[in-house]
Amino acid sequence: MSAPSRRAGDLRVFAQYDRDFTEEVDVAVVGSGPGGAVVAKELADAGQRVALLEEGPPFTPADFEIDGALSMARTMREGGLRATRGTMMPTMQAIALGGGSLVNSAICNRAPDFVLEDWCTQFELEHTTARDLDPHYDAVGRFLGIAPTPEDVLGERNLLFKRGCDALGYASEPIARNVRGCRGSGECFTGCRTRAKQSMDISYIPAALRSGASVLTSVRVEQVLAEGGRVLGLAGRVVAPFTGRPSHRFRVNARAVVLAAGCMATPVILQKSGNLANRSGQVGENLQFHPGVAMMGVFPDAVNPQFGATQAYQSRHFLRDGFKLETLWAPPALLAVRLPGSGAALKHRLAQIPYAAIWDAIGSCNRSTGRVLTRRRGLDPTLSWRLHPADLEILAKALWALSEIFFAAGAHTVVPGVHGIPEELHSRSEAEVLRTHSLAASDMVLGGNHAFCSTRMHGDPRRGVVDEHGKCHDFENLWIADTGVFPRCPSVNPMWTAMALAHRTAQTLADRL
Amino acid sequence: MLGWLLLALAVGCGAARVAVGYPRPQRRFMRLARGEVAFLSAAAEANYPPGGDVEASGLDAEIPAYVDRLLNVSHPRSRLQIRMLFFLFEHATLLFPAPGRGGFRRFSSLWPEQRVAVLEAWAGSRFWQRRLVFASLRAILTLGYFAHPAVLRQLGLAPFVLESPICEADLLYPRVGAHPTSIPYARDDLTDPSDGTPIALDTPLDPRFAEGAR
Repeated sequence: MSAPSRRAGDLRVFAQYDRDFTEEVDVAVVGSGPGGAVVAKELADAGQRVALLEEGPPFTPADFEIDGALSMARTMREGGLRATRGTMMPTMQAIALGGGSLVNSAICNRAPDFVLEDWCTQFELEHTTARDLDPHYDAVGRFLGIAPTPEDVLGERNLLFKRGCDALGYASEPIARNVRGCRGSGECFTGCRTRAKQSMDISYIPAALRSGASVLTSVRVEQVLAEGGRVLGLAGRVVAPFTGRPSHRFRVNARAVVLAAGCMATPVILQKSGNLANRSGQVGENLQFHPGVAMMGVFPDAVNPQFGATQAYQSRHFLRDGFKLETLWAPPALLAVRLPGSGAALKHRLAQIPYAAIWDAIGSCNRSTGRVLTRRRGLDPTLSWRLHPADLEILAKALWALSEIFFAAGAHTVVPGVHGIPEELHSRSEAEVLRTHSLAASDMVLGGNHAFCSTRMHGDPRRGVVDEHGKCHDFENLWIADTGVFPRCPSVNPMWTAMALAHRTAQTLADRL
Repeated sequence: MLGWLLLALAVGCGAARVAVGYPRPQRRFMRLARGEVAFLSAAAEANYPPGGDVEASGLDAEIPAYVDRLLNVSHPRSRLQIRMLFFLFEHATLLFPAPGRGGFRRFSSLWPEQRVAVLEAWAGSRFWQRRLVFASLRAILTLGYFAHPAVLRQLGLAPFVLESPICEADLLYPRVGAHPTSIPYARDDLTDPSDGTPIALDTPLDPRFAEGAR
């Protein structure tokens, strides 16, 4: 096998592969989402020869599908129809250059101090306090221009949330996002046509290329190669965009490998590589999510929800109670699928959307855990996960809080979308049923937001896969830099924390190479 | 001998009730079979009848055509699951009949009011698995309904026309599947990034959703 001629710092796409090939680099990084892109850029800046490998293709604005389902079918693994077993809950993983950052709503939150203190205490970590991570948060924040959403692009549905929280005395604030020049198009989930969102494909990856990194897209890493206690590199196949049809084989020889394929893929790669780095038995274990619930409120006046930043206001008032509240917008079809009823009643409800806002809650469901399991064929995982009864109470309480804020903001109707509860609630007293009714997990429409912990960090090598810098306990030159390393869910949106940890991982690795 | 003949007759009748007698669709579909088109048309009309607060019906919104496009870009496993879902709904009434006369027929052969009753029974079932199956079907129908420009226009939710500034990334990436030599931009083509001017609500609609698009 030989490598096609290519300058360092090039990006390669599917149409350019015409034979099997081998690469020689200092560091191979698997996955171009927020973790991998940061590692690749920082290591390239430090003078290392870096190859960033991504299974998905790069998307241009002309490739974005405005239709929600068609967009998901192209940008998400398993067409966006992945779900957990146990407690049935849809969850997603992107397959695109830039990973989830291409199709998320750019929310950036630092992990709260009390969460990081809990991580340090419970998981024997010494250098993962807020003070330790702040320099890394700051570096990422400066690079991406992370800042609170400006008021002129909030739009009515975000401002109504603020008014509701203010009326009840609940703390709330505009969400900080990795965005420059947002115009409030509300299209974060299908790709930002205004190029305002600083997703990895337009921020860190071009910067990594400028610093000399190679970026190989449409390559599926199938195996980490290891021998005698050292990782030698990676092997895999070139795959066609969208169909995943494999063609040429490749191998990347590297002095170090960083897995940043995401919490649901990194454990599968390790398991498919002969159950690598798993002396602790923790690879694929401890899977956690931030399960989400959402609710629609209808107001007397037009809300025009299609205008405004996708998710731009939040309340962390209830973080210590186990949930965070935030505003939400998505392609109307994806929002409408949650509405109850059929026939004329459903059409009536759809006609209310221009007068409606949709808000959601994410739960810190630490007691609800699961596993990432490898299937015999392919790299898509089987996910088992079960919602713990105590965490169900958190979500029920979050639903009640959302309804309370809706009515305080002036909504005349709330549509909870919960089986066993009236389809519409018209007052705060009617909404009491959300507190008094005994709910089952199957009564709610849950969303599996954010996934964590499948290769968790732990100070004790017997109880975790990596140390707090992301180095695998079992290997000197194998590292992990995605949300799988979180020891517990962070209670807030994880992207900024994943990037801060990846920034630290890159610095530590650069020092050791 | 008579027993075998009766058994063969019964099997033949059963197979006919499952698979035979669907009308030929008025257009060609990439993925959908004749029976699936009939089922989707019936379900679309039951879930989104004509008239009411949103004028377009499920058939006006060309839901079967949308589902055909969706299946065509779907992951093979998802495609199989979706088709199994259609099969289940279409034929469940052969075992668990719809209310009223002639309830032991395929969903697409039922009277309109029977179809509505069947959907409502699935939606309100005390078994969550059954509700989940219904929610999956209704999600697909709703995705198709909202994909139609006329529906989005009527609700005032059609996307605006948006100019994409040309940034550094546009010099690096070709369209999906294309060769980098097809990238139409050079450094001189770079434009100023978005200045953050909020989109006005009277901004023209994206041409794909504007009046006359469909």
